[in-house]
Amino acid sequence: MSWRRLLGALVVAALVAAAVAGLLRSSAPARDADPVRTVTQGLRCPACQGESVADSQSPIAAAMREAVAEQLAQGRSPAEIRRWFVERYGDDVLADPPARGLSLLLWAVPALALLGAGAAAVRTLRPSRHRRPVAAAAGRARGGTAAQRVWWVSCAGVMVLVAAVALAADRLDDAQPQGRPADPVAVTLQLARDLERDQRYDAAAELYREALRDRPDDGVQLRLAFALLRAGDAAGAERTVREVLARSPDSPDGLLVLGLAQRSTRPGDAPETLRRFLAVAPRHPAAPEIRRLLGA
Amino acid sequence: MTAGRLRRLPVGRATVLLLVVAVAVVLAAGLHTGTAPPSGAAGGPTSAPALDGATLDGGRFDLTEARGEVVLVNVFASWCGPCRDELPLLADTARRWSPHGLRVVGLNLRDGPEAVRTLLAETGTTGLTVLPDPDGTQAVRWGVRGVPETFVVDRDGRIVARQQGVVTRRWLDQRVAPLLEPA
Repeated sequence: MSWRRLLGALVVAALVAAAVAGLLRSSAPARDADPVRTVTQGLRCPACQGESVADSQSPIAAAMREAVAEQLAQGRSPAEIRRWFVERYGDDVLADPPARGLSLLLWAVPALALLGAGAAAVRTLRPSRHRRPVAAAAGRARGGTAAQRVWWVSCAGVMVLVAAVALAADRLDDAQPQGRPADPVAVTLQLARDLERDQRYDAAAELYREALRDRPDDGVQLRLAFALLRAGDAAGAERTVREVLARSPDSPDGLLVLGLAQRSTRPGDAPETLRRFLAVAPRHPAAPEIRRLLGA
Repeated sequence: MTAGRLRRLPVGRATVLLLVVAVAVVLAAGLHTGTAPPSGAAGGPTSAPALDGATLDGGRFDLTEARGEVVLVNVFASWCGPCRDELPLLADTARRWSPHGLRVVGLNLRDGPEAVRTLLAETGTTGLTVLPDPDGTQAVRWGVRGVPETFVVDRDGRIVARQQGVVTRRWLDQRVAPLLEPA
């Protein structure tokens, strides 16, 4: 076997090995995968553009995640769950819908291109058995050498590309968790803040309560108290904020909401609470307004 | 002569020709399927999935018990602006057509009871039957893609029409009125 053939065989072997490695790495399931996330990553959010159900923050995607979790808890397999979704949303709901009919051509075209390129390569590299008259031979040989160089450079380029993809696939896997936005509590809080901006305080308070059920947090509880106060439920706001003040008696926002709530529930106690607020946080953004209220 | 030409047709050119034809066919197929109606649940009449549970006013609703009536299922939420605009028309439709065998049910997607009550009060639609769906799983069972979305269920419990987005009086006249008992 000539060294050229040996080199050719080695290049082809390296290409095939790199391609197989890349394929295996990209198709292998992620380590420590959350089963709900694994299934929802394979479903496309019907209300979004190009987002999976796992990554979308739309309410319908959140509902679909709940449905997947419910069905997994009932012991249904991922394949059964996917079928259940296809029955309701059609094949489009699958991130990777089955290739049928004409869409098979999408797979056939690259295969055809590969075959064509292979045939062209064989034709270029194979030494011609019956060469034409010697006069044309010199020119053809020059052309042949140039074509061979182009072929080898292309080969090396493809090999580098495949190797790069195979190596990068591992790093991409590691990078995935950083882009994980599907925190239902964060989504709920964002929704609540949007509702507050729209001055729909009752609806916002309801969502803050929902977020608190999942993740107790003084900051969220204070926001709930604020929302209740703005919705006109001063008694509810006072009850809520007192729970925070029991844990952190000098919370400026806590004292502020309590003082404002007391203006409706116990007008006699309100000035004292608001003065305490001013003493604790004289530079609070609300301080000038409170001073004005107390001065009035 | 022709056979000789065919034999000498360069492999590269033949490949390019083949690829161009294949890409053209794929593009044509893509354009064709792009204009086709969506598959699956959006197609012809299908059996309506289950829909039951406690209503906002403390009662119960079960779609299977509404057989023999035409049911308009509207999926809505207080956080959805277009739903707010649509509710008065739905409440008015319920008032006008309930004597002719229509029931209107609001499936309230991922919402809080207080927020919905406020919405119903603000839009003057407190009489509407509302079925809360706090986690949204009932809506997913119906293949809901977003809010608002409306389904028409005929007397035999089949979905015969659906509308993604706001419904209009004209749409209701066309899709619901023919299913009702004549006045």
